[in-house]
Amino acid sequence: MRASVETKRQVWAILAVALVVLGVSLGMQSAYYQLVLTQVLLWAVLSLAWNILSGYSGYFSFGHAVFWGLGAYTVALGVIYLDLPPWLGIPLGGVIGGIAGAVIGYPTFRLRGHYFALAMLAYPLATLYVFQWLGYQEISLPMKRQAPVLYMQFADPRAYVVLALGLLVIALAISLRVENSRFGMALLAIKQNEPAAEAAGIDTWRWKMRAIMLSGALAGMAGGLYAVVLLVVTPESVFGMLVSAQPLILALFGGVGSLWGPVIGAAVLVPLAEGLNGELGDVLPGIQGVVYGVAIIAIILCAPEGVYWRLRDRFTKPRPAGIASAEPAPSMPLSATAPAARLEESGELLVLRDIRISFGGLRALDGIDLIVREGSLHGIIGPNGAGKTTLFNVVNGFLTPDKGRISFGGASLAGLRPNQVCRRGIGRTFQVVRAFPRMSVLENVIVGAFVGARDHVTAERMARTALDRVGLADRAAAIAGGLTTRELRLMELARALAPLPRLLLLDETLAGLGHEDLAGILGVIRQVREEGVTVLIIEHTMQAMVQLVGEFSVLDHGRLIAGGRPEDVVRDRRVIEAYLGRRWMDRVAETAA
Amino acid sequence: MKKGPTRREFGSGLALAGAMGLGFRPALAQTKEVRVAMIAPLSGPWARQGQLMRMGADMAIEEINQKGGVRALGGAKMVLVVADAGDSTEKAKNAAQRLLAQDPDLVGGTGAWLSSFTLAVTEVTERAQLPMLTLSYSDLITGRGFKYVFQTSPTAGHQAAETLPTALKLAESATGKRPKTVGILMDNTASPTSFAKPLREGGLEKLGLKLVVDQVFTPPLSDATPLIEKVRTARPDFLLLLLSAMPDNKLVLEKLDEFKLSKGRLPLVGNGSPLGTPELKDTIGADLLEGLLFSVADWPFKGDEEIVERFKKRTGEPWMTQDGITAYGDMWILKEAAERAGAADRAKVTEALRALDLTSGPVALSFPGPVRFDENGRRVDVPMIFAQWQNGVPVTVFPPELALARPYWIKEA
Repeated sequence: MRASVETKRQVWAILAVALVVLGVSLGMQSAYYQLVLTQVLLWAVLSLAWNILSGYSGYFSFGHAVFWGLGAYTVALGVIYLDLPPWLGIPLGGVIGGIAGAVIGYPTFRLRGHYFALAMLAYPLATLYVFQWLGYQEISLPMKRQAPVLYMQFADPRAYVVLALGLLVIALAISLRVENSRFGMALLAIKQNEPAAEAAGIDTWRWKMRAIMLSGALAGMAGGLYAVVLLVVTPESVFGMLVSAQPLILALFGGVGSLWGPVIGAAVLVPLAEGLNGELGDVLPGIQGVVYGVAIIAIILCAPEGVYWRLRDRFTKPRPAGIASAEPAPSMPLSATAPAARLEESGELLVLRDIRISFGGLRALDGIDLIVREGSLHGIIGPNGAGKTTLFNVVNGFLTPDKGRISFGGASLAGLRPNQVCRRGIGRTFQVVRAFPRMSVLENVIVGAFVGARDHVTAERMARTALDRVGLADRAAAIAGGLTTRELRLMELARALAPLPRLLLLDETLAGLGHEDLAGILGVIRQVREEGVTVLIIEHTMQAMVQLVGEFSVLDHGRLIAGGRPEDVVRDRRVIEAYLGRRWMDRVAETAA
Repeated sequence: MKKGPTRREFGSGLALAGAMGLGFRPALAQTKEVRVAMIAPLSGPWARQGQLMRMGADMAIEEINQKGGVRALGGAKMVLVVADAGDSTEKAKNAAQRLLAQDPDLVGGTGAWLSSFTLAVTEVTERAQLPMLTLSYSDLITGRGFKYVFQTSPTAGHQAAETLPTALKLAESATGKRPKTVGILMDNTASPTSFAKPLREGGLEKLGLKLVVDQVFTPPLSDATPLIEKVRTARPDFLLLLLSAMPDNKLVLEKLDEFKLSKGRLPLVGNGSPLGTPELKDTIGADLLEGLLFSVADWPFKGDEEIVERFKKRTGEPWMTQDGITAYGDMWILKEAAERAGAADRAKVTEALRALDLTSGPVALSFPGPVRFDENGRRVDVPMIFAQWQNGVPVTVFPPELALARPYWIKEA
């Protein structure tokens, strides 16, 4: 449904590029140009493979040479020792690349940001030494005069162009498919805010693993074909630093996280460097490296996000966020989708028993017992540092309590990860709004809706309904980065509501809002509750809460010090002391006396 | 947006065509020229070696043309076309493919210094049936059944097999005694590994040598002390040093000096021309290198003095190394082959190369032993040359008929 016009356009663009490359190849006589063209295509495939992991998910890999090299060695050793034709060797290289992705991803995804990037750097360098140690310092694919076609040893260099082009089309098709599925959306969400993605029900671990395996498989296949083209494989030439840097540079130049960025990068930089080297290599040796350096600097200065994004901004009219402008959301009556309204409170929905967690010497939660009844609007208040957000983090799985039990609807939540807790029907918002700033409002909410949806169409429908519920339907197309605080709060609320949770955890949703905005949001929260969703809300300002909730729990220094109806709680001595201090308490006592 | 994709494709297509257009150069096909190629690393970590090759080749071309060019072709001038093999096998292969595309009249060439580059380059030249000479050692180069590769250096396998027997002969002739024990100190990179493998697998035993200390490390070395301590304790009759990186060489030689094992007190034997470069002297110092012996495929020897003098004068280099003398000789080989072929034609030049048997003239002065090739393109009957650092210069000391100085094996302090 979404962007199907755009997808079709991209499919045509891929076919058109393929035809152009074929045409160029047929028209070129020189075997040298064919060789360079083949290399352009192969490096583009590697860069696309890199882009699937690093471009979409934001996990930068400085080590894609490891997949490329394993593919190359698979093919080369296969031909030498097993007489394995590259027709089988290249797919096998893909399989090995995928396995390597899993083996590498498993430990390395424990790291984030720079640590991930640097850890990735280590893999090809370590593998390089392994292959040296194994004695494969220089291997050469033997000339197969008897069965050249079986061993991909074509006299006509155009055959290699066609093969590399085939790989490129596969890589583009896979990238396109990833982009337009929940896979791509999950990766984009991870890139922009991983904890939010996890809390919105995305199994970040699984998607990241899938991405690195897919990326490794594509890179492995490209490396395998590279071995066939180059015929000589050395550890340095396939596991070296330059190989790892190449896909990164090409994608950065062309546009990270875009379908065409890596292709543009390869089409410009590879022939440019080679052409300059050919023309000036005997006069100005090393000019290739200078070109790369200059290209990177120029890109950083003129188009920091890459050529593709720059061109797109230039040649596309600034449409309101691209996606949702097409049709207005089908406005559904709320009662049709929301669970049957149950205003009266019934059984125990969320039960916390003796929850304890400490950070070093600090007891953040010190024996919390809490019952949230189904259908209630339950507030937790407490001064800053009382442990409110920690409590939420324990409930939705970001933190594991040292002790205690949590059950939700009768089932234990022990050991579940945030995305699994979300799937059980607990949505949450954050104290500081965790939006996906580069996505539209609708996309932000779709990410949340995927938990409860089988496909993109359903997810979009659920997202639109949720936006409707919070009254943000008219802003569906806006980019999240440009929203006001109120809109951001509502969007986050919609994201949490989209998969139709039974319980909603709201973390200081009212913080930082003006008087009018506050009234609006309070209205939305009440309405949500009236539709049957149980709401547990954190606040540290008493005033707003008194208007809103039916039941209070007061948290101080990791303990629940009071609970009950708002009007009783605000008179509780311990509450006043916690908020205003003992001296104030004493003064109250004096006055009373 | 409608035009978006087409524009982009068009743009990248243009960039592709444009960049390739840069590489386009009309071939200067003239009958009065014999065009030969040199593909060597002129940039990257091996740039210096490529430059030395180029100096040697340029000098030969100049001499050939001054002396009247290729006489059999009516005094046709020889023209050298140079391409940068860069720092990767991919670039080396591209360079070869580019030369062949741009210069269809090439009759032969030389290159590409590093074995893996040569392997990649010859995959291209073999298919284009262009005869290539090379100084690279790898056995694989002439072990693939190729018909258009000619290896002017003895192969790595041959060098590994000949280095120790020759060293023993040298020791015996210098001291009258045959060494009984040996130590090996090496890194685990490609060439030391393949060099030492046959020695450990029975090669030493056959020579009656006992391996008393055997140390292998992964470069770069941070501290040579534990290695050298073991060497001092075992105290072999001589030490085989197989190191590929300059900093490791420096560390090891400094440490040997510290342990009073340098300057000929413990005979040191190595392999390969990198042990005889001016840069090595600049970095390590003549003092520490004194006495170091190394076997090498080619080194200026008795009879070459004039060539070396000309080279030094032309280039300002302190002495001539393998890279220069071999590239110089390669040009003369191609000239002789063209002379015999009687045509600037690849096939005929290749045939002439196969039939070559030169024992005098500039070619014979450039390479030890007669210049003739077997069916695989390997030279036959090549003596193993030894050079030794003496007073800050590596000079050929063995075999005696080629020596420019007398070798010494051991010097007691």
